Amino acid sequence: MAQRLKPVDVVTVGVGLTGSLTALELAKTGLKVVGIERGAPRYTVPDFQSPAIHDELRFSIRKGMMQDNVKEAVTFRNTSDQTALPIRRWASFLPGTGLGGSFVHWNGQSFRFQVADFIYKTHIEQRYGKKFLEACGPELTIQDWGVTYAELEPHYDRFEYLCGVSGKAGNINGQIQPGGNPFEAPRTREYPTPPMKEPYFGALFRKGATDLGYHPYPQPSANLSQPYINPEGLTLQQCVFCGFCERYACEHYAKASPQTIILPVLLKNPNYELRTNCQVLRVNLDSTGKKATGVTYVDAAGSEYEQPADLVLITAFPLNNVRMLLLSGIGKPYDPKTGEGVVGRNYTYQTVGGPTVFMDESINVNPFMASGANGTMIDDFGGDNFDHSQLGFIGGQYVGAIMTNGRPIEFHPTPPGTPKWGLGWKQAVARHYNHTVLIQQHGTSTASRLNYLDLDPTYKDAWGQPLLRMTFDFPDNDIRMSQYIADKVVEIGRAMGGKTVVRGGTKRPYSTTVYQSTHNCGGALMGDDPKTSVVNRYLQCWDAPNVFVIGGSAFPQNGSYNYSVTIGALTYWALDAIKNLYLKAPGPLVQA
Amino acid sequence: MAVVTISFGVVGPAHAQGTPRQPDVQHGAVIAAQGTAAGAPACAQCHAFNGGSDGSGAFPRIAGQSTSYLTQQMSDFISGVRTNAIMSPIAKALSPEDIADVAAYYAGINAPFPPLARASAALIQRGEQLTKVGSAAKNVQACDNCHGPGGIGIPPAIPYLAGQYAQYIAFELKMWQRGYRRNSPEVMFMIATKLDDQDIAALAAYYQQVPASDQTTASK
Repeated sequence: MAQRLKPVDVVTVGVGLTGSLTALELAKTGLKVVGIERGAPRYTVPDFQSPAIHDELRFSIRKGMMQDNVKEAVTFRNTSDQTALPIRRWASFLPGTGLGGSFVHWNGQSFRFQVADFIYKTHIEQRYGKKFLEACGPELTIQDWGVTYAELEPHYDRFEYLCGVSGKAGNINGQIQPGGNPFEAPRTREYPTPPMKEPYFGALFRKGATDLGYHPYPQPSANLSQPYINPEGLTLQQCVFCGFCERYACEHYAKASPQTIILPVLLKNPNYELRTNCQVLRVNLDSTGKKATGVTYVDAAGSEYEQPADLVLITAFPLNNVRMLLLSGIGKPYDPKTGEGVVGRNYTYQTVGGPTVFMDESINVNPFMASGANGTMIDDFGGDNFDHSQLGFIGGQYVGAIMTNGRPIEFHPTPPGTPKWGLGWKQAVARHYNHTVLIQQHGTSTASRLNYLDLDPTYKDAWGQPLLRMTFDFPDNDIRMSQYIADKVVEIGRAMGGKTVVRGGTKRPYSTTVYQSTHNCGGALMGDDPKTSVVNRYLQCWDAPNVFVIGGSAFPQNGSYNYSVTIGALTYWALDAIKNLYLKAPGPLVQA
Repeated sequence: MAVVTISFGVVGPAHAQGTPRQPDVQHGAVIAAQGTAAGAPACAQCHAFNGGSDGSGAFPRIAGQSTSYLTQQMSDFISGVRTNAIMSPIAKALSPEDIADVAAYYAGINAPFPPLARASAALIQRGEQLTKVGSAAKNVQACDNCHGPGGIGIPPAIPYLAGQYAQYIAFELKMWQRGYRRNSPEVMFMIATKLDDQDIAALAAYYQQVPASDQTTASK
């Protein structure tokens, strides 16, 4: 029997980026907020200090910061006629756990989405006609977000200044800025800090891309180029290019994470209480099934508690947001046979994978001297930045030389024909380690009625609850898109001076055994119509107005870019509505 | 007399043309012992011929510090981003070749650590905590993050602190605080300004005794 605790105003399920940001804003208004985090507490000092934090075996290979899939896995299959099996070792995507969530081990790649991304269906139909979309794939289910870029702009701005993002503006109020990305959506002011220094691989890419007439720019980074004090009064330090960003926490206070930009202020707020090592089992509903009464969770000792709350914010990793809705019976689960139901619908991912460019031995790349987001890139093939009318697909990818590390266990590029082991392999690694540039293609993932999330009928977690089941493969549209761009990028590799350029591009079937991206999106998607969305434009559940589901789970489909900054902007957008509309008159903010 | 081992720095693969000048370590040794005709005094007067300096702590130990780091400091004394009444004029009296040679000379020496008085155990413990873990209260990361485990240095850019004289470490941190040393405004200046005198005394005391404590451990 669960012990019933004293009611509070707000509870957050998960204390990562969205859980800490929402808690900070709401605790400031005087509300009593409890944050429930399934993982351990951890802080820059003492937990992230070297040399332990640079343990490649522990963090990169054994995935030391990720969701414990002995306790809580995800089952996977490519198509709904297959039987899904649990992912026992994370590889394709890496959901984090512990205080700060995945925003601790991210790379700091800090993009905004583009204007057209938020009105994707409308934009595509207006530019190319309704028949074009149908021809790209009758299974595609793209839709508009219900919020526009213009509405999100102030929240993007606020989030970038919270993080201190280092970059060069490409478009300020419609004026194209030299040195920035000319395809960038208009911003109202410069980035908070100047761009990162360009590494040699970036300079090589810049030259190759410029020679071909493209528009290179420095990748915006939340690993900072200089010390910065954010609006909460917290100081970030300068990145030292140690090459341990993704899969690691930053020991230098140089990467924006809840630990550096939010938590020191939040944890001092008397209205906030953090509970770690506590697993939320479900959001509880009242007898009408339309109102949440709080959450039930189990602490590290195995004791069960009920935490009543007026407002429940589901702020876990996107996959776990969707699972929490399904476990709690909030919203109608999506049924791929009928196309009805919404929870789990439009699960999307990211199309990644670019070429490897093998250079002459006189080119010393020094890949170990790296940061998680100090690439040089182009957006000429991003989103809908190029004319698709004769191409037979929608979507696009950004392209860039983005090398985040030269770590010894993971990084040993060898050209085709190299033996897989032994002396020949070792000689090839020694020859190519310092003379190879990786180019990233990173782009849209188009929603399809065939791809979705639901509860697994067989496999359960350590608490006896069904695992989340993922049914996913890349739509043919996305393969055509990626392969088209792959040809263009090979040309850039050659223009950079590559001796051998091994072509990239996404292929089917999607495999969970190779790292691609941790940008799992959708399943609790936002929109204007409760028949095709789980939450309204303010991320409020259509089916339970005192539940908000915040994070990448709200994306109706994924854009070209890494999604963290858009999640931050959406969080501020939702908070604005909660503070200024919902708290004044609790109830549905949009009438269905 | 201490055994002086000299090794030549490797400066990358030789190219057909534009081969960079190789430092002349023997010339460096001459400068260290005798100074230069242009008026620079012998380095050994303060830093000793083996780079171990005189144990007073007024002069840093430079033996085995990387060529790149030593060269950078000399050029910073010349440009003025690091100022010191003694070293600034000496640096200006040396030619770039002299600096390269003498830096390579001292970088190649493995000098012994003189026995020194130990600070209190409590102070050393406090210093060890700061250097290995940092301070959450002050938002200061562990010194070892950049200076290597136990302060062994991460050459070529980052100097070692293990076995460096406590008085010198403390003095330099105060030079950062007061703006006399400005050759790492984004990192060392920021950190130094967060430390108080007690923190500085503690971490300096810890680093000074690192080689001695290593020998103690090894002899057990």
